[in-house]
Amino acid sequence: MTTAMNIIQGHSPALIVVTFLLFSYLMPVLDSWKKNWCATLAIAAHVLALFFTGILAWQVFTTGTVTYHMGNWPPPWGIEFVIDYLAIFMLTTITVVSLLILIFATKDLGHELKAQVSSWYYTLYLLLVGAMIGLAITNDFFNMFVFMEIAAISACGIIAIKEDKECVEASFKYLILSAVGTGCVLLSVAMLYMVTGHLNFTFAAEALVPALELYPNNILVALALFSAGFIVKAALFPLHVWLPDAHSSAPSPSSAILSGLVIKIYAYAYLKLLLKVFPGDIFSMVPIYDMILILASLSIFFGSLFAIVQEDIKRMLAFSSIAQIGYVFLGIGLANQAGLTGGILHIFNHALMKAMLFLSAGAIIYCTGIRNIDQLKGIGAKMPLVMGVFAVGAMSMVGIPTTNGFISKLYLALGTLDAGKPFYLGVILVSSFLNVIYYFPIVINAFFGEPGEEPENDIPVKKLPLEMSIPLVILAAGILFFGIFPRHMLILVERAVAIF
Amino acid sequence: MTDIALKLFDNMYYLVSMVLFIIGFHTMLTHSNLIKKVIGMNVMDTAVFLFFVSTGYVAGGVAPIIEPGVEQTYINPLPTALILTGIVVAVSVTAFALALIVKLYHHYGTIDAEEIMRIRSTE
Amino acid sequence: MEDIIIRMISRISVPFIMVFGFYIILHGHLTPGGSFSGGAVLGSSMILFALAFDLEEGHKKLSHKTSTLIETGGASWFVLLGLVGIYAGTGFLANKTGGFPMGVPGELVSGGMIALITLGLGLKVASTVITLFYNLIEGDSHD
Repeated sequence: MTTAMNIIQGHSPALIVVTFLLFSYLMPVLDSWKKNWCATLAIAAHVLALFFTGILAWQVFTTGTVTYHMGNWPPPWGIEFVIDYLAIFMLTTITVVSLLILIFATKDLGHELKAQVSSWYYTLYLLLVGAMIGLAITNDFFNMFVFMEIAAISACGIIAIKEDKECVEASFKYLILSAVGTGCVLLSVAMLYMVTGHLNFTFAAEALVPALELYPNNILVALALFSAGFIVKAALFPLHVWLPDAHSSAPSPSSAILSGLVIKIYAYAYLKLLLKVFPGDIFSMVPIYDMILILASLSIFFGSLFAIVQEDIKRMLAFSSIAQIGYVFLGIGLANQAGLTGGILHIFNHALMKAMLFLSAGAIIYCTGIRNIDQLKGIGAKMPLVMGVFAVGAMSMVGIPTTNGFISKLYLALGTLDAGKPFYLGVILVSSFLNVIYYFPIVINAFFGEPGEEPENDIPVKKLPLEMSIPLVILAAGILFFGIFPRHMLILVERAVAIF
Repeated sequence: MTDIALKLFDNMYYLVSMVLFIIGFHTMLTHSNLIKKVIGMNVMDTAVFLFFVSTGYVAGGVAPIIEPGVEQTYINPLPTALILTGIVVAVSVTAFALALIVKLYHHYGTIDAEEIMRIRSTE
Repeated sequence: MEDIIIRMISRISVPFIMVFGFYIILHGHLTPGGSFSGGAVLGSSMILFALAFDLEEGHKKLSHKTSTLIETGGASWFVLLGLVGIYAGTGFLANKTGGFPMGVPGELVSGGMIALITLGLGLKVASTVITLFYNLIEGDSHD
């Protein structure tokens, strides 16, 4: 027993990734043998991962940063996993939110997918979550590239698995654009490897300081390619074209995980590279922070503007994601204590909100089959729970106090003032106003709107299964809890920011 | 002028890989045929692989298979090993993209991106 | 396609291609090549067989279910070999310290777990190549 405990304590960084990979490989075999075990096993993998995350969090809080060397090869040669406060924050976000989405998916998939592919969905889902966790804790350039490609292929898989016209086309578009993104990232890894000779983040960062004097052009090109690659992946404004199709046509659990977690993991990786790897002198050579700020504000503004004119509820939520990823990048671009805190905290807060909004949109589609916003009038009376949690999410999106969206926006606003750039405070305020324009009419119409007289409004409403309502309630409770008692998360995020 | 040409000649691999990268990128973004897009993607990936492998090349070096007692210059094997992984990843992305194209052809009856856009907009 | 020459030639050459594939896989730690190249050779021998005869014939030799099983087995084999290192008390994917015999460099039995890993992954790559081929071919006809 004690040996088991020792193994788990010493090796949880490797085990947390391996668990997901192993369980995802087991799914196809289970499919032909014990079909109804697949969902249970996928949930078991998540519970195990939560357990490992808890152990890692405990280790980080008691003894500081945890490092793990694959195959006992020390850093300059081997792959290294580093778990610090920032990684713990990301791990917690990923495991908790994806577990809740998975519980929702177990019922929702039967309605959206053909029966024979549902176990393959769990394979892809677990691969995606495993790759994201690997991306969060890896400290190696090439390992990061591999995890990015795994995440890209499995994300395309869970979009295309519905085999609709729209899904396949959206998935192809995403695949091509993400291939551009990863191609750029690999090229810049090559550029950095040329001048440093290291693939480890820590060693490369050390070697980059003298290298910047000798080969400034290489490193500038590498920075540009990294930025381009990650901005495509994270769907910041001018390069967001793949996102609305992909996130709106996919099955609802896929949309929830793609919007909630996948685009943010790239923002996180970009933040880590920008602040930990690239030497500080480079920021005086090229105004990268200002560029990020401009792109982020454009993203916030146009994302909200496009969202207003959408008729499909999932498409509206997808455009809203573009606006919200802008907040995260706004935090990165401000690059001061308060701004980074707000940006990083928004990763968690938006993961909760957007996962919940997509899941409640999925619940509406499951129960009534309605996707069109205009037809949602009066639906609040038929589905009080779903529309109630949708209202909570909408308020959080706008940033009303007592919801967690308020906390991250508050910190971002403080960050803009600390940085002496009050223009971006205006951007945040205008965008909150735009959020009101497209979220509140849905809620108000749902509860107070009179349903029209047309016969199509008398759609029979299916009862929502317990497996689908529990995640919604937990996510809504989380939004309110972290809005009223933000202290725990703030302590974690502030410690994470302190390392920069 | 000859100076620049000589410098470029010395770094021929880098030059060629950049040209290939741009060819691939251009093919990928401008052609509306989906298969050509995938080919462009592959050309682009190959350019990156060539670039990465050539960073590890040492003039006059051989593959690092060590024979006892023979003194030789070896190339840096790390980029080569990494690019092997990169090739595997590129193969899987290509296979997935081709499978999606088969599905698209099944749904729309064409593999032309503009045609697909036109069909979608008229629906 | 009913061509006796192609069928005879491929029937004769497939075993040799397979042996060559296994050679590349098993000598992955000694010579250039390894699990991916060898697995691709193995997989393409099955593709040659299926093209020369027909898909049904190829299916009889290696059904979807078997190739799924091999794929899962190959990947899980890799993970299990990694876990041996943890069980030995050192680290994930530990080779020498994980208790694998290192042998004499340059001989077939050397390099510890590397040969075992390449064997598992080679089989996985082979079955993946075959599965991809079948899925692309059947994509039109099935649904």
